Formats: sequence, C-alpha cells, structure tokens
Amino acid sequence: MRLRAEEFGQACRGVTEVLLVDDRPPEPDGFRDFVEARSGALLRSGWLLTGDWPSAEDLVQTALAAAWPRWATLTRQDAPELYVRKIMVNTFLRWRQRRWNGEIATGRLPELKAYGDAFAQIDARQALIAALDRLPPRQRAVVVLRYFADQTETQTAAAMGCSVGAVKAHASKALARLREAPGLAELMTGGVAS
Amino acid sequence: MTTEERQLADMLHRITPEPPRQVTVEDVAFRLASDAGKEPRRRLTSRRGWAPALAAASIVVIAGASAGLATALTSHSSHNPAPGGGAPVSSASSQNSSPAPSPASPAQTAPAGTPLRIADGMWDAKLITRQSFTQGTLAGSGNSLYVASADGLDRIDLASGRIVQSVPYSPPIPQRPVVIGNTVWVVWSYSGGDIILRGYDSTTLAQVASVPVPAIGGVASPAAGVLAAGPDGKLYVAAGDSVATVDPAAGRVTHRISLAGGRVSSVAVAPDGSRLYVGTGPAGSLRLLVYDLATGNQALSSQMSLNGAGNLVATSGGVWGTTGIGMSEWVWFAPGGDLTRSFRVSQGAGAGLDSLPTSSGGAVWIGGTHELVCASPATGKAMARTIIPADHSIVEHFGSVTALGGRAYALYQDDAAHLSGVASLTPPRACSG
Repeated sequence: MRLRAEEFGQACRGVTEVLLVDDRPPEPDGFRDFVEARSGALLRSGWLLTGDWPSAEDLVQTALAAAWPRWATLTRQDAPELYVRKIMVNTFLRWRQRRWNGEIATGRLPELKAYGDAFAQIDARQALIAALDRLPPRQRAVVVLRYFADQTETQTAAAMGCSVGAVKAHASKALARLREAPGLAELMTGGVAS
Repeated sequence: MTTEERQLADMLHRITPEPPRQVTVEDVAFRLASDAGKEPRRRLTSRRGWAPALAAASIVVIAGASAGLATALTSHSSHNPAPGGGAPVSSASSQNSSPAPSPASPAQTAPAGTPLRIADGMWDAKLITRQSFTQGTLAGSGNSLYVASADGLDRIDLASGRIVQSVPYSPPIPQRPVVIGNTVWVVWSYSGGDIILRGYDSTTLAQVASVPVPAIGGVASPAAGVLAAGPDGKLYVAAGDSVATVDPAAGRVTHRISLAGGRVSSVAVAPDGSRLYVGTGPAGSLRLLVYDLATGNQALSSQMSLNGAGNLVATSGGVWGTTGIGMSEWVWFAPGGDLTRSFRVSQGAGAGLDSLPTSSGGAVWIGGTHELVCASPATGKAMARTIIPADHSIVEHFGSVTALGGRAYALYQDDAAHLSGVASLTPPRACSG
C-alpha cells in the first residue's frame, strides 16, 4: 500500500504512526532490539559483500524486510541472524547475477601506503575491497560468512544452499586468490585498524 | 582454522569500518510499505528481437489530478545496435581515460551516427551521448549541457550530442553545475572549513573565477545541493553554520546569514528571490528554515524525520527535497516551505541510484528507476508521468533532468545493456505547465 499524500503530511509530524496504516503485520516482539543490536554488524558484512554503504544498506533492509513477517518463527528456532544473513547472501548473489557493476579488470591494484600514513586506513579498505572484487560472488560470500560472520562450515553451507564440501572448495580457492592480491598478505600480517 | 584463515578473519574484523549510519526499524517499515505498494515491474517488451510479436506495447502516461488523464502510445522494439557498431560504453575511464589537458581541446568521446533509441522509446527517449557521467550533475543552458564525468566537467553540444569541451574536475559532493550568464559555476572543494567555487566560461570552459568561501564551523556532512543561484545573479552557498552570498562579479562573499545552530546541508532560493530555504538539523532529521531575503528575518521553521542531506530545490509554490535511502527513497514537496504540509511526489531510485528533483523549463522533474515525473512547480502535483521500463528485470535509470528548447535531457543508465550517457526526451505537452 502506498502512503497517500495526506498520510505523508502526517508522517512529517509523527513518522512511525503513519507507517502502520498499511497491511503489513505489526512490528514483531524483539525485532527492534535485534535491529538495534545487530544492524551494525550486518551492515559491515554488507559492505564486505558489495563494497559500498548504499548497497550494503539496501541489502540489510531487504533481508530485514524479508525476516519481519517470519520473525516469530525465526525466534522460536533461535536463528534469526542466520536467516537474515542467508537472505543477504542470496540477495547479493542474485544481484551479482543480474547487475552489471561497471567493474573493470585491472592488472594493478592501488599501492598501499606506509602504515603510519594518515590515509593508511582508507588505503587498506580500498585494497581489501579491490581484493574481494577479484573473487567470484560465491567465493566472496563464503569469505564473508566464514571469516567475518564467524559462521561454521555447516552454517555457511546452509546459508548458501550448497554442501560443506563446496564451502571448503570455495574457501580454498578464495584464499588462493586473495594470497595473490597485491598488498593483502601485508594487511593480513600487518596492523591497520579500522 | 589454519593460521592463514585466522589471519584473514582478523584482518576482516580489523579493517572493515563501522557504518556511517545504522539501519532502523523505521527504514525496514518504509521498505515494507514501499514494496507492498509496488506493482510488479512490467516487462514492456521482449528485447533483443527474438519475439517480434511481443515487441509492441504501450506506456500509459498518467497525468496528475489537476491535469486529467493523458495517454501516450509508444512502440517497442529491440535495442538498436550501438551507434557506429561500437562496443558498449563501460565506464568513464574506458572512454575518457586521459584528462583533457586544455579546455579548448574536444574530447573524443561522442558517438557518431543516429542516436540510440532506449527505454522502449518512452517519451521518445534516445541516447545522444554515450559516456559514464556522475549522477545528479547534469545542467543545461543555451545550446549546451554541462555534466561531470569521472575525469572532468564536460560541455556537450546539444545539436550533435558530442562532448566538445572538457576540463579536469571531480565533484566533491552531489551538486549540479549552476549557470549564471556566461559562467558555469561548480563546487570545486567542499571539506572542513574550506569551500572553493570555480567559474568556467560557458563556451570554452576556460576557468574565469575561483572564489574561496570559508565555512564557519566546518561544512555539513552529508551535504547535497549546497550551491544555488538567485534571480539577482548571486550565488548562495551552504557554508557551515551559515549561508554565504557570493557576488560572482566581485568574486567574493558579500553577505552571510548565520544560523543559531546546526550546519547547513542544503540551500535553495525561490525563483522570485523572495525566500531562501535552508536545510539543517541533526542526523536523521531535516529542519527547514525559510528566510525572507528582503529583511533577512527567519519566516518559518519546520522539521521532519529524514535520511540524507535534503537536496533542496525551490519553486514558486514551495520547496522540494529527497529523503530515505536505497529503495525507500522518495521525493517530497513542502508547500510554502512548510514541512508539516509536505507530501510525497514520487518513488525514488534505490540500488545506489539517485532520485533528485530538478526545476527546469517551467516544470519540476523527478527521475529514478520506477517512473519519470514532471510536476507543477506551483502545486507539487504531477502533470505527467511515465513508467520507466526494466531491461530483463534490471532497472533502468533516468535522473538529473534538465529542459532546453522544448526537449528534456537526462542522465541515463541501463546496467543490463551496459549503456549510460545523456538521453534526450520529448515530454508530453502537459509538462510545459
């Protein structure tokens, strides 16, 4: 249901009340606490997957909107975050199948500055995203789920709808590619904080 | 985990930055409400020519309530091959990798041959210039369009669609060039306490002015739409805790309106020069201040919950802006600059694409990925709108619309076809106001 003009006018005075005029289910118990507690971590995962904040927000919003109507079931199963991350990964993989991202393969990645450089953090982030951009989407998703979201191989396999063996294979190939990414080995053993 | 895996995990946690803002339940609620109201994206045609029988359809152009109902029919067919048979444009760097060393040297980026028909021909859409440009940076005057690409500020000749001049420029924030007389003004630098405006000759793009504008208290972040022209030929700049008035002829700041608190994220001037609209406020909200320019007194103040900088555009009836983020973005109109009376005008873009209103040629234009709207600058009501088709279910985007000589021009992007550039449009008569 679209918000009508007069409803939006009311929204300017009290934005949340108007949102409840549509036919979606009411806000489920515990949903707000989860969003407040976990949106930061989910956004960081989204950033690793997509490489930019607007797309990361799109991804997290999409996943949370999908989880909203199923929230009671998810909390009973004690796995709302696993579900949200599953939706994020699958949405990301679908986007990567459908969207052209304007990426251009380059033979040379940005050089890293010295760690004492004031721009070292930014350089490190750029190098990280450039390295992740070299990975096929499924390998990238495995890296984010396994090594950033700290999910087990079984949980990662469930989220991606593949076997544990496939997760291991993706992880192994991803590590091999990342090993070759300029500057990344230095980052892995170095110390640039976020 | 192996040692290498542990090192990778440590690095990811160490380097991944904290997000600039959190997603809130309200964001998700907006998304749900928006998605629930969204009609399925219509595949208006079968592209690539494999099913000619399906290659005819219609776009319904729904006029606003005040303008009644109008219907326009367009035929649909497969995409034409690229003009000149060339490969699709992939990015600015692939097409324009070497910056133009001189403002007088034309860039070799324009297509040859017949303009490419795009977006199923909605509003007779044709791609006249194939190049990747920066979103929200298209403006026009006379027989030229001015737009920022990855490498510079370009001037496009309307008749040929060719980029005929280019100078190095990188927009620091979302901001359209502002044309006053024979000078194209851009925000050259916008960070910390320093703002620099630069002026370029509208024909040669030779630099003719550079004006420093100190930002008291530092510039706002985010900020968008920070430079506006008044009918008096003055420039108004969102400058920290103040709005600075720049006299282009004198090349300096001649006046300031200081705010009691809050940094100015966006600024707009009424077409008759009577009112100055100022967007400010803490993160997550917009406080819209209205100043009487004749007296310098504040006439009105109102506030709304808002994500983003506001991106204000002033017209005779009030002020327009953009709120939301991603797929929850939309454009609003506040009659008289009163946010308590504001209403939603159009659905936004999402997917990192913008939906910013522009005022040009007697109408307000709102692009995006869902629909293209021309609206009345007096009432905010849509005068005509058309659905923007999807290409193999992937969104196509029109934005930063500017009207010149009875036609409209917009930045266009179709990721499925790897197409981007400047599109020309023939809007319905209703858009003439």
